[in-house]
Amino acid sequence: MKIGIPRALYFYVYYPMWYGFFSSLGHEMKLSIPTNKEIINLGVSHSVDDICISVKVFHGHVKYLLNKDVDFVFVPRIASEEKYKYTCPKLAALPDLMKSAFVSDAGRILTATFYTRQGDKPIIEAFEEIGRQLGDPEEKVKRATKEGIKYQNLATKALRSGHTFLDIVKNIKNLEELIKRPVEKKRYTVALAGFPYDVYDTFTNGDVISKLEDSGVGIVTTDMLDPKVYKHYSKYMIKDLFWYQANAAAKGGMYYIDSPDIDGIISISSFNCGISSIYQKLLDLYSKEIGKPVMHIIVDEQTGDAGLATRIEAFIDLIRVKRGDGLVSQENNLHGTENGVHVRSV
Amino acid sequence: MSRKKITYTVPRMGYTYAAFESFFKILGYDVIIPEPTNTETIKEGVSNSPEYMCFPFKILLGQFERVLEKNPDRYFKVVSLESYGPCRFGYYSPLYYKILRDKGFTNFEIVNIEGIYPPLYKGIPRFFKKLVKLTGWHAPWTVVKAFVIAGWKVYALEQLEKKLYHLIPREKVTGSTEKIFNAAVERIRHAPNKVKAIKKILNEELEKMENNPHVERDDLPKIGLVGEAYILMDYSNNLDIEKKLAYMGVDVDRSLRVTNWTLDRLIKAKSHKAHMLEVNKGYLDFFIGGDGQESIMNTILYKKAGYDGVIQAQPFGCLPETAAKEILTKVSEDYDIPVLSLAFDEQTGEAGFVTRLEAFVDMIKSRRQMKEEKKESVTVEN
Ligand code: SF4
Ligand code: SF4
Repeated sequence: MKIGIPRALYFYVYYPMWYGFFSSLGHEMKLSIPTNKEIINLGVSHSVDDICISVKVFHGHVKYLLNKDVDFVFVPRIASEEKYKYTCPKLAALPDLMKSAFVSDAGRILTATFYTRQGDKPIIEAFEEIGRQLGDPEEKVKRATKEGIKYQNLATKALRSGHTFLDIVKNIKNLEELIKRPVEKKRYTVALAGFPYDVYDTFTNGDVISKLEDSGVGIVTTDMLDPKVYKHYSKYMIKDLFWYQANAAAKGGMYYIDSPDIDGIISISSFNCGISSIYQKLLDLYSKEIGKPVMHIIVDEQTGDAGLATRIEAFIDLIRVKRGDGLVSQENNLHGTENGVHVRSV
Repeated sequence: MSRKKITYTVPRMGYTYAAFESFFKILGYDVIIPEPTNTETIKEGVSNSPEYMCFPFKILLGQFERVLEKNPDRYFKVVSLESYGPCRFGYYSPLYYKILRDKGFTNFEIVNIEGIYPPLYKGIPRFFKKLVKLTGWHAPWTVVKAFVIAGWKVYALEQLEKKLYHLIPREKVTGSTEKIFNAAVERIRHAPNKVKAIKKILNEELEKMENNPHVERDDLPKIGLVGEAYILMDYSNNLDIEKKLAYMGVDVDRSLRVTNWTLDRLIKAKSHKAHMLEVNKGYLDFFIGGDGQESIMNTILYKKAGYDGVIQAQPFGCLPETAAKEILTKVSEDYDIPVLSLAFDEQTGEAGFVTRLEAFVDMIKSRRQMKEEKKESVTVEN
């Protein structure tokens, strides 16, 4: 069977698991194309207007796939990513939202409820449910589930060794090899804090990652961190947030604020996302105490490329000054744009 | 801890503030109730909150800030009611604390009352610890009494409110019932702390309202209100939507009240959840927190009870309600019931708001008329 996988939201966390599972079952997977203008337009026209941009974009990817000749579009309900913690209400209602938005195709939405990071049992149950819907033999589904979990574990290892999720998607067939590949250390390192789908959707966030890398800045992201390393920030936060990803962004961000080898933090979040406004406030308050630059990028339907480039360059200059390196000089300013000049005169 | 006398302040929730006030008074504390939501409190709250934070959070922050600001010589326990649920509600109090501290306020501590949440071996002791922190050490019967009296007052106020909205579209002299009602609220507020006395006042006042000249009729268009609890339950947050609809000649019903909300969340939580999943089957098959599931369920139930339309009142950007909104478009189609979603934030202006309500009410009225005509033409043909 042909199964469409929307390249949005939890794709940027669990794609390896989906990949391992479906390919082991011998189903053909069709990924939607990376977000572009067309996808955004599709999404905007099929969702209610006050919903966050990340979910709008998801609508776009689903519609794109429904228009192609796939048998099913896979919309898992990621209900919880940690014991006693749940996901954002919109994510918990995601399959329901899709069925409401695409009524005539409701039967083509393939879904099951996943509880992740709480042992294998709930994952096995969820995959069994999918196996039933696809009519695959139980034995095969069992094997495929193992494959899925194996891929996910490899991906986690790759993240922990400093590779971004985008590298993981690119190297999905050779994760073992990717894990061994060392990550080049740059003079400056900027940490990106945020939900993986905001950090990695290069179109909606104006390609922050490439912009930084092109300027010779290395990046790390909050999903590279093992939650164990930032557990103690609960105390500063008084109470844990109720969502795994928000805790990861908040505590991971604070961890990076405290790390001496990180020069600055950029938080990326989605317009109209109420959850990120909480961790952004926390990061602001915390960085005020510690004194490390934090910049917020809020992604919307048209995150302006020009304005963003200017802001990022200004941010890099700020980091350079902090390190005592002076401002970007004309020669090694890889962009060499007027914006660079403008920033220098500040 | 400083031995300064403690003053309590609590979120204001519609007319029921009078009940919360009694609660703390019975325990022997001073209590200051924040002023009703107004442009000033909203301005304060909005300018100090994260931009995309919930509107209820901003309102409450503004209210608390004004209370602290106006009473610098008092020491406050700020009571925050919250849950540990998938909603942002669960993180209100740490943010109040951090923001108010960041603004330089020191004359307060926050007492957050949250339900019991898992793991139970931790949750239950935590709940009682919080309760003690809320009330301080008192003889158990005093605490019980405070709960009982407050509960009765909430009940009485809600009964009066229901009566008010029932009578407004039926009264002979516009505005006459409201006058009686306002006096009644004051009487309940200052009622002696005895159940009997409260009951007596309630009955007297209900009778007074009943005796106010009006014409009973059951042919008014009916609108049900669903949405997020804090917007829905506080008239100053929703620009008095119930009263406005009542004055437009509509029979209006609000699905969430302090009484049923508390019952459904705390006492009947399990059966309530099962009921929601059953009614919402095929529309929303999962627990999403906040009041989103309730919004969908109550819309369906209103339709089944013969209502002509539903208004969903929500804070702008509210997570569960926006999800519900998208699903409600489908419910509205399948069940053939008009649903108007209204999002409230600091920019919601009175004028535009009234225009939208009026347009919706007009639409409902003409739909009713069309149905009547259809019925008639069918009978004629027969
Ligand atoms: S967490 Fe934020 S960005 Fe993600 S779905 Fe919820 S509201 Fe949207
Ligand atoms: S229900 Fe809406 S307003 Fe209330 S906490 Fe949740 S998101 Fe905020």
